[in-house]
Amino acid sequence: MTNSSIIAIAAAIAIAISTLGPSIGQGITAKAAMESIARQPDAAKDIRSTLIISLALMEALTIYGLLIAFMLISKI
Amino acid sequence: MGEKSEVIISLFGILDVTGEVITMWIMLLVIALLSLIVKKNLKERPGKFQNIIETGIEYLDNFFSDILGKKKSRKYFTFLASLFIFIIFSNYSGLIPGVGLTDYVKAPTASLSVTAALGVVTFLFLQISGIRHNAKHYFKHFVKPMFFMLPLLLLDEIIKPASLALRLYGNIFGEETVTEELYHIFPIGAPVVMMVLSLLFCALQAMVFTMLVSIYLDEVTE
Repeated sequence: MTNSSIIAIAAAIAIAISTLGPSIGQGITAKAAMESIARQPDAAKDIRSTLIISLALMEALTIYGLLIAFMLISKI
Repeated sequence: MGEKSEVIISLFGILDVTGEVITMWIMLLVIALLSLIVKKNLKERPGKFQNIIETGIEYLDNFFSDILGKKKSRKYFTFLASLFIFIIFSNYSGLIPGVGLTDYVKAPTASLSVTAALGVVTFLFLQISGIRHNAKHYFKHFVKPMFFMLPLLLLDEIIKPASLALRLYGNIFGEETVTEELYHIFPIGAPVVMMVLSLLFCALQAMVFTMLVSIYLDEVTE
């Protein structure tokens, strides 16, 4: 296997695996948010803003993996 | 990481002016112009334009008061609100037609240099605010629970601004790159999908950055 093929496979694996964890975490967060909104519709506004911010924080972990993939691709 | 910015001219031989710097100058002019227009006709009962700006500033004040409390929010309002306005303007500047195509005008936060600079400024702001607020308490918090946690806590102080910078850079640069790739796949209509998503995520990233800075500030000024 040549150098650039290994780098390409590494970039693909980096981004693929780095989306597994955060997506499961975001699903659990969304589930908890929906249950609390269903239980107390008055607090929907606060819950919604907290939900969006938590999703953005988890998204950052996927973005770190994407950055590594970009770095690898630029070295092919 | 990413591409090297093309230098357009070199001021005094040492300061490089790149496309991002030119966009930041344009942003500076636009914001200064808006502020001057509002300032000149300040009225007790606001007209339409002043009302919009006041609503924005009030929204920011409530946003910070939720985290910091009213007094501290007023005290640090200038830095935090400037950070928010800078980040939201430069994120949205990537959506203006023509920005990013040539080397002359590029979105500032899509380059790691600008976001790393924001991280450095935030780092200095947090440390200096902590020291000015209560120097003894600040130095004690490094050795408070157990003495051997010192290296971990020192590392934590470096990692916090670094993660802020990387999160912002990754999001904005990623949005730009995905839009470009969609353009190569299907030139008409496909990039619009990502640009619509960008409308939401640009504002979200500005909010997340500023909220995290204010949470760290709350932690550091006890």
